[in-house]
Order: sequence, then C-alpha cells, then structure tokens
Amino acid sequence: MAEFSATVFQNEYLPDGGTDVNAIVTVSCAGAGTAGQTGAGAAGEIIIVDTSGSMGPMTMRAAKEAASAALSEIVDGTWFAVIAGSHQAMLAYPNVSSGPGMVRMDASTRAAAQQAVSNFVGSGGTAISTWLDLAGRLFASVPQVTQRHAILLTDGENRESDHMLTEAIQRATGYFQCDCRGAGTDWQVGEVRRIAQALLGTVDIIPEPEEMEQQFRAMMQASMARGVADAQLRVWTPQGAQVLFVRQVSPTVEDLTARRTEVNALTGAYPTGAWADESRDYHVAIRVAARAIGQEQLAARVQLAVDDQVVTQALVKATWSNNTDLTAGIDEQVAHYTGQTELAAAIQEGLAAKASGDDATATTKLGRAVQLAAATGNAEATTKLRKVVDVVDEREGTVQLKAAINKADEMALDTASTKTTRVKR
Amino acid sequence: MSAACPACGEPLEDGASFCEACGSQVGAAPTAADVRPEPTDEAPLTVDDLIVSTALGRGAARQHAPRPCVACGGTVGADGWCETCGAKQPKERDHFRETPAPWVAGVCDRGLVHEDNEDAMALSAEPAPGSRAVLVVLDGVSSSVDSDVASLAGARAARDALATGLPQGAGTPEARQAAVARTLADTVAAANAAIVDTTDPDSPHPASATFACAVVEGADLWVATIGDSRVYWVPDDGEPLLVSTDDSGAQLQIDAGVDRETAEHGPHAHTITKWLGVDAPDLVPRTAYVALDRPGWVLACSDGLWNYVSEPIALGDRVSSLVAGGATTPLDLALGLVAFANASGGHDNITATLARVGDTDPTTA
Repeated sequence: MAEFSATVFQNEYLPDGGTDVNAIVTVSCAGAGTAGQTGAGAAGEIIIVDTSGSMGPMTMRAAKEAASAALSEIVDGTWFAVIAGSHQAMLAYPNVSSGPGMVRMDASTRAAAQQAVSNFVGSGGTAISTWLDLAGRLFASVPQVTQRHAILLTDGENRESDHMLTEAIQRATGYFQCDCRGAGTDWQVGEVRRIAQALLGTVDIIPEPEEMEQQFRAMMQASMARGVADAQLRVWTPQGAQVLFVRQVSPTVEDLTARRTEVNALTGAYPTGAWADESRDYHVAIRVAARAIGQEQLAARVQLAVDDQVVTQALVKATWSNNTDLTAGIDEQVAHYTGQTELAAAIQEGLAAKASGDDATATTKLGRAVQLAAATGNAEATTKLRKVVDVVDEREGTVQLKAAINKADEMALDTASTKTTRVKR
Repeated sequence: MSAACPACGEPLEDGASFCEACGSQVGAAPTAADVRPEPTDEAPLTVDDLIVSTALGRGAARQHAPRPCVACGGTVGADGWCETCGAKQPKERDHFRETPAPWVAGVCDRGLVHEDNEDAMALSAEPAPGSRAVLVVLDGVSSSVDSDVASLAGARAARDALATGLPQGAGTPEARQAAVARTLADTVAAANAAIVDTTDPDSPHPASATFACAVVEGADLWVATIGDSRVYWVPDDGEPLLVSTDDSGAQLQIDAGVDRETAEHGPHAHTITKWLGVDAPDLVPRTAYVALDRPGWVLACSDGLWNYVSEPIALGDRVSSLVAGGATTPLDLALGLVAFANASGGHDNITATLARVGDTDPTTA
C-alpha cells in the first residue's frame, strides 16, 4: 500500500499589508508497488514507433531493437499494444480488426509482438494526431485498463495542420500519459514537448541510434514502477483568496495553473498522473487579504488525493509581523525554485530567439540562463549551455553564441531546460 | 461611527460578527446575554482525552464534534483551521468556559504569550441563585511537564471532593470552622492525588500547580489556597477585598512590611513558596472566611488576571466598569476580565471564575 507524505517549506511571515504567500511543498510516495499489480485496476502500455519514410535504416533498426527491449520490460499480465505510425496509424500488434485492441503480456504475446516489430518497414509521412487517436481508441477497447501509458518515438516534424495535432492532444489529455522521444535532429522540440507536457510525460532527444534501446528500456521500467495509477494535487485556499500559480518544480518545471479543475468553491485539483516511489516538489503562490499584525491564518491546504481520497496534506500559513528580521527572508527552497523556473524560461526563450534569427535576444537570454544555472547549482544545465554559448563571465551572465553549434546539443539543451536540481536540505 | 464590543470595549469593524480583540460574537443588536457557542457544552473536555493525547504525543488529534470557526462561523477542519476562511482555531484546552448555573461561570484562556494553557478550572453550582457554588482554579507551573493535564485533573478532583457540601450543624462556630477546615484539607489532598496520578514517576520535572477554591454557601464564603491563585470578594457597594493570601516571594515581602505594589514588582515576586504535585512542600492550605452580607461577586482567578489588577480597589473598578458596560452575567464578566488581561498583554494563562451572590441582577443593586 502506497504511503504519501507532504512537507512544506516557506517563510510564513508577511510584512504589514503583505498579501502574497509562497511555499514549496514536497510530496513523497513510498511503497507504490508495480503498475497494475495493486488491485486498483489493470495497467496498459502502448508503444508507438514512427515508421514514416524518413526513418533511415540505422534509425529503423535501432527503433526495432528499442521497441523490442521495451516489450521485454512490460510486466506479465499488463495489457499492451504496438502502433506503427506514419501518415496514418496502424495497429502492428495485436493482429485484430475488431474487439479489444490490446492483449495481456505473457511469453507468447511478447514473442509475437517482438516478431511484429521486427517486420517494420519505413514508408509514408507523419501525422501524429492519428497515432494519439488510435492509442486512445485501443485503451478504450479494454475498460478494465485504468492506468494508461504510452511511449512515442518520432524522428521528424509533424506533417499535418497544427489544429489536427492540437485537437488530438486535447482528446488524449487526462486519458493517458505519454513519454515522448525524438530520434536524430529533424524533429521539433516545441511540438513534441507540447504532447509530453499535456500528457504528463517526459521529452528527450535520442541523438544516436545506439542510445535508443537503453532509453526505451528505462522509460518502460519507470512506467512499470508506477503502482499508483493516478493522483491529483489539490489546493484549498480561503474564501476570497486567489491562486497566483501552482507549478511542479521538481523533477521538472511544469506549470499546472491552467489545468485546475474545481473540487469545490475553495478547492482546485491539478493532474499529477501516476506515481512511483519518488518525491516531487510543487511551488504554490497564493494571494490572501492582508490581516492585522500578529494575526495568523491558513493560506492553503496542499493535498494529494488518490481515488478522491486525500492521502496527505501540508499546511501553508501566513503570519503578519512587524519584525523585519522575520519578514524579510525568502525561503531558500522558494528562492531556489524561482530561479530554476526562470532558468527554464530563459533557455527556451533564448533558443527560440536564436531560431528566429534574433541573436541579440538569444545572447541576453542564454547569458541570463548561464548566470542562473551557476547560481542555483544546476550543473547539467551549465554543461549543456556551454555547448551552445561561449561563457565570458558566468557571474555576470555574459556570453557569446558559438559560431558553430551541433544541432543535437542545442536540442538537448532545449529538452532538458525544464529539468531542475534540488537544493540541499 | 463604529460600535464597541460589549464584552471588552474595543471598537468593532463595520459589519463585524465577532470582535477582533476578544472574539466575542456581536450580533446586529448585541446584548450581554448574546454569548457565542460554547464548545465545552457540546464536546466536554475530559481528563482522559488529555491523558490519551499526551500519551500519543502533542498534536495527536482528539475527535470532537465539529465546532464553529471563531472568526467566520464556518466549519473547523480536523487540522484545527477553518475550512472557509482559514482562521486558526484555539485548541479546546486553550480556551474553555463553564456555566454550571446562570449565576456561576468561568473562562480559562491560554493568553497571548504562552504556548499552552496550563491553567485549569472546575466549577459546580446549585441552580438557585446564591445557594451553593464551588469555584476551583489551578495554575500549572510551566517549567514542569504536562502541567496542563495535571492542573485540569486536580481542579476536577477538588470540585468533586466538594460535591456534597461543607459540614453543617457542628455545634459551636469553632467546631464548624474546624470541620470545614478538615473538608478543605481533604479537598486539597484530593487535588494533589489527582495531580500525582497524572505524573510520570520518572519525570525529571514533575507537574505542579497552585490551588484556589472558593465555596459559596448562602451568605458564607470559604476559601482555601496554596500558591498564588487568588479569591476576591467584590461587593457592588463597599470595599473590595482580597480574601486569600499568597504563598509567594511577594507575600513574604508584604509580611515583612513592604507595600503590595513594591513587593509584587520586586525580584522573586512571582516565586511561589508552596504548590501541589509530587514534590509539594506540604498540603496545608491557607483558609479564610467572609460573610457575604450584600450583593456582589466572588472571583477566583489565576495570576494571569491579577497581575494586571492586583489591588482589590483596582479590580473592583475593573469589575464595575465591565458591569456598567453591559457584562451583567457571570460569563460575560469573566469573558470581559479575560479580554482585559489579554488586552493588557496576555503574558500568562488567564482564568477568571465568578459567582454572583445576593441577587441575580447586579445592575439593580
């Protein structure tokens, strides 16, 4: 049985007239178990592999091996299917044309699926909306599957009008989760990140074919470790208060503010997807009405709910004080993650500016990113940034764009931009 | 023009349902009788609750019926905060009230500075005004462990020991006085036994408490005290009287001829020389008797109140002004005295218990 706990980090002291309360809430899960094995419903996995004509022979061979490796990581008993994606989506396995579009994993279905994968041939275009829609239909064909997860591999830009993909993402949002990987450098980070963020998944680049198998194996292992099928972050605020934002800030920055659904007039729910044994940090900012010096009040209850049951709660408080020693300090966690969030934005905005030819903005933004990465101790971001810019002065954030940049390095910086580091506690 | 709180006199915000200063409910037409919900009536606090919660460690939630938020009247969550406005709620041990009869009431409050409320009280009364009442106040010593549990257990044991009334018809006044003194000594012993019962024998800082009890039987007031909790007699007409005598550093000074004002602000003024508990020096209370020959108030209180109005005349003035301000019931007057102590700083736990004697309406006196 999974056990959750929540801890709050904040400076609860507000100055006279202060209204904005910031807090980091760490939610931890232990004893999650294995996907589909906790009695709360079955798990389903769908592997979606790009089989468009752009897939070169090396990439295709690697993709087959990677999909095969992922299949071997799926725990017996899990419902699964394999989709071959091009300008249309094809159900590569199981070989059915009606009824349930998924089968349960065992030695023989695994072997048959791996056989089907080995027969992949690259041809046709890329219409990712059709891949997502087929995945949704396959999950829907097996009602007992309540934990739905897909892995999506693409190597190229989506070749359909933008609204097609947008609508397909909307149909899938809240229904299944999807981790996305891009092979090579001909795909669009922004496009694939949009899918992954909406579907509560990760995004990364696989620059070299030989890295693909390991990445697929790791993604599937991570998914199988998520024994808690779904959970909601809930934020209660007092009457008259305003939620300024709710962000996941670790392990990655994901702004959840706009994804609120109402539980009751004072409580909003934000999706968090499935949980393994892990901990995640959330940054909540609440605006409350200022009260008199010495007054203390609750600014938020931050809860995690599984199956509509609150399993853990942290209290975010506000105390008004005229002692500036108390009110002046910003909590270390809040400051750290505020910096990390700005870092993610600076990287993405800098790379977008660079792509549009605005080198001046790109230099400023990436310079700020270098400064923030150093200040918040994000070594991975620092390493990746240094492949894209020459650093003149790290503390001042002075940089120059490199004359020649490896495209894969630039994309890796982009996909990793939302990854955060934790501050030592 | 803004209205003033009938309980404590602080100005009210426009449209306020509750006083920001003392928490009193103030309706559209506030009256002295208009008191807010009394948590202790709905969900009596028991010593067992406290002992169990202490055994589980501080913060272990006691299951009680939901109570209304002190700020907005909304529902209070199991976490101790309002589910509507987020206001922090006092723990029930931090603020409780008793009104055993309309003419007898008390308020026991944490104050503003201390983390816990180690004061305790226990009251009982016959329904007929002025007939028979017992007021018991104990002030747990903060430097000892679980004094909040011990003081409440001791207060209730003392009240229960006096359930059957003081000895009557013992012949001569001297014989009766001796019989009453024995009963009061037994009461102290019962309170002490209850405190010892709640104390971990291995505790490095065993619980200890002061003791004050006032027994009103018709026109008789009997008082027994140990430590520096006090009993005052505040007649409507005539000079107020400090009935009890402290066992304290200040009292030693007073006995040596120093005036009260100087003694009570000198070094060690608040050091008590006697107390209840495992390490009590002895269990012999100081006793006193007053003939209640006119209408007035009997007040038993802790030093959290009298620190701000020690002199009987000052206390009498405070009572008079609260009564004149509309606090004519014992509960309203007790609330007013507690609000006054909090407004003066609330540096200690505050307990004020009152019996109204002589008539039922002090405003007609």
